[in-house]
Amino acid sequence: MADKRKQRILIADDSEMNRSILADMLGDDYDIIEAENGKEAVAILRKQAAQIDLVLLDIVMPEMDGFGVLKMMNDFRWIEETPVIMISAESAPARVQQAYELGITDFISRPFDAIVVHHRVVNTLLLYTKQKKLMNMVTDQVIEKEKQSALMIDILSHIVEFRNGESGQHVLHIRTLTELFLKHLNQMSERYYFSKSDISLISTAAAIHDVGKIAIPSEILNKPGRLTDEEFAIMKTHSEVGAAMLEALPVHQNEPLVKRAYEICRWHHERYDGRGYPDGLKGDEIPISAQIVALADVYDALTSERVYKKAIPHKKAVEMILDGQCGKFNPLLMDCLRDMEDMIPGAMSSSEAKDWSDENVLRNLMEDLMQREEISVSGRTLQILEHERMKYQFFADMSQEIQFEYTASPSSVSISEWGAKHLGLDEIIRDPRHDAKVIATMNPESIDRLAELLAHTTPQSPIVNFDCCVRMGGVERWMKIIARATWSQDEPPVYKGAIGKAIDIHETRVKMAALEEMAAHDTMTGLYNHKFARIRIQDMMTRKPGSNFALGIFDVDHFKQANDTYGHMFGDQVLIHVAKTLKRNMREGTVSARVGGDEFLLFFEYREHVDLAINRIFNSLIGTYEAFPISVSMGVAKTDMLGTDYDTLFHAADQALYAAKRAGRGQFRFYDGDSCGTLSLISPIDGDEREQPQRPEDDRTDGGKEKET
Amino acid sequence: MTLQECYAALEGDYESVMGRLRTERLVQKFVLKFLDDGSYALLTTSMESGAYDEAFRAAHTIKGVGQNLSFNKLYESSHLLTEALRAKNIEEAMPLYEQVKADYAQTVAAIRQYQASL
Repeated sequence: MADKRKQRILIADDSEMNRSILADMLGDDYDIIEAENGKEAVAILRKQAAQIDLVLLDIVMPEMDGFGVLKMMNDFRWIEETPVIMISAESAPARVQQAYELGITDFISRPFDAIVVHHRVVNTLLLYTKQKKLMNMVTDQVIEKEKQSALMIDILSHIVEFRNGESGQHVLHIRTLTELFLKHLNQMSERYYFSKSDISLISTAAAIHDVGKIAIPSEILNKPGRLTDEEFAIMKTHSEVGAAMLEALPVHQNEPLVKRAYEICRWHHERYDGRGYPDGLKGDEIPISAQIVALADVYDALTSERVYKKAIPHKKAVEMILDGQCGKFNPLLMDCLRDMEDMIPGAMSSSEAKDWSDENVLRNLMEDLMQREEISVSGRTLQILEHERMKYQFFADMSQEIQFEYTASPSSVSISEWGAKHLGLDEIIRDPRHDAKVIATMNPESIDRLAELLAHTTPQSPIVNFDCCVRMGGVERWMKIIARATWSQDEPPVYKGAIGKAIDIHETRVKMAALEEMAAHDTMTGLYNHKFARIRIQDMMTRKPGSNFALGIFDVDHFKQANDTYGHMFGDQVLIHVAKTLKRNMREGTVSARVGGDEFLLFFEYREHVDLAINRIFNSLIGTYEAFPISVSMGVAKTDMLGTDYDTLFHAADQALYAAKRAGRGQFRFYDGDSCGTLSLISPIDGDEREQPQRPEDDRTDGGKEKET
Repeated sequence: MTLQECYAALEGDYESVMGRLRTERLVQKFVLKFLDDGSYALLTTSMESGAYDEAFRAAHTIKGVGQNLSFNKLYESSHLLTEALRAKNIEEAMPLYEQVKADYAQTVAAIRQYQASL
């Protein structure tokens, strides 16, 4: 990155003229930031010290002078990474001396000479760039070395476990528990203090506590039943054997790791009251490292399944240990265990979820690196990263949002703490597409669709919006997922995964649906309005292109009389009654709508005997309302004859209705192709956008058609 | 009026500034920019209100700019003023301040004349 971007120079000088002269001298090769006093310079450094490659610093400035800035740069250790060239006419030797002591790299005195300024800047930048590169190389090598030794220890301890027939998690658990106890001891007792590197050393050494079991015959190691006294005596030798192996190492005797491992191997079966083995050490004769590993070992042995026993639940295991059933331990450690009781199961399961060898070792390493003076420079960068991470986590927790990060290969998802809890999922999920809990939360089609959308983004437009149903606590809710795909810097770019969040839009969505529903219905009868019925009908025909459908239109005979005789209120009641009757008698899947003043529409799929179906509905509509006799006239059009164009069907049904009325009302007619002219009978109702059709002038007597609703 | 004549009028060192800034374009740019520099205004207000710490910084800035642009006459007087103010010797500073005022006026007059001839 440093190679690509322009190097950034901060010029702190109170004279705009002077800053401008310097900026001009440096030319366009650099990215120049200016500060007009010391405070401003510090504020800029505070925000972006890591991105500033060089500071040109004046001495005499208001608010805070150059020495003040230098002091801050020392306090915050920015000076270790960002070189400073002092610019000033001040040449009193004491001041120059003071400036060098505060860590400046060079001095430029006024008046500025363009060539001198340019060369000093270039040289200083070059020097620091080389130094940074060198430091990164060292860091990389240290990381590589630590990785390899962690790997070797992992391999070694897994060999032991493998022979032992243990779960493979044992080493992990011992490490995690040891680390947990050590950290807590630091907090609860003044007697012990373990530095970060002590903790890392002891928990790493703990991994090979059982290395001596390599020398135990596997018939004894893996015997399902109780060991005989003789066998047990052999088994017990493993601690001495392990220690002897380490003692016999031809080199590395003085390595702290080997020393700790020796203590742990030899004495992790000693007990506080002197009743352990092999040496019968008592109390604090037993090194604290061995005491802690002994406790961790006992706990994990109890809670794990072995060839000779079942797993004992966490609470019970802690009880047994506190009760002294597994031998006597340091009372301090018992307090420690009591304090930690609730945290242990969580820590154990999260240790399983993470890859110990990478993450923890590297984290410890990072912390170690920060403590080492000579490479503290990259430490600061890491500190900034850590700070960013902490900031991010804090805001994620505060926002109560479901935030996630998805890595495409190997497929895994991590969810923000709050989000995971809210969804009832783990924070880190490997292979989410095949995770039972994930699939129970979001259906696989949605997951695949989302994955597909993300994979088909481009680095230029990486954002995806996706609405889907998510099940939480047994209830389905609508969520909007907004995600940004991440692409590598490679050429061509490679899709790496995504970051994003899910927002609960259930309420909004439900409201929208309700509004849509309202807009789709005729307010008086609660049936669909024509506009919406048309959409539904077209949709049904598109979905099932091979099926037969019938579309019927009917109106209420002599409706005008009801209106005229009993008033419009009564007329409305009649329409509501008809709508209810229709709803009650139609089969599921039938679309019904009010399409005009007293005209109704129905539409359904049929297999055979469409005439019987129509007849049934037709007859069900005949009756009375408050002594007003109700009958209808109906026209029907079928897709098997007319195809699936809605307008054609509607028009044909309308014509058949016209024919039915002309034939004396109270009957239904199927459109048969040759009937009845081309005039429509249908009148509009309010809000129906259908064009007002023409109506036959000679048919006024049958009523209803002139009614306003 | 040439830039060199301008330097002669304000009693500066044209050779020296060209030696350091390298191009006439750059020298011209900063000479003209000198007219907009606020340090002199700051010097007069702070001297007159008795804010001598601030006056010191203003004089120091004028000195620095004068040095960078090789305005030798103005540089000399502002240098002396700066030192007097640094020592908080107000009695000594007052006549030096008058000298700086005169030199500044001379410098600005020369630059204005040069500017007008462009």
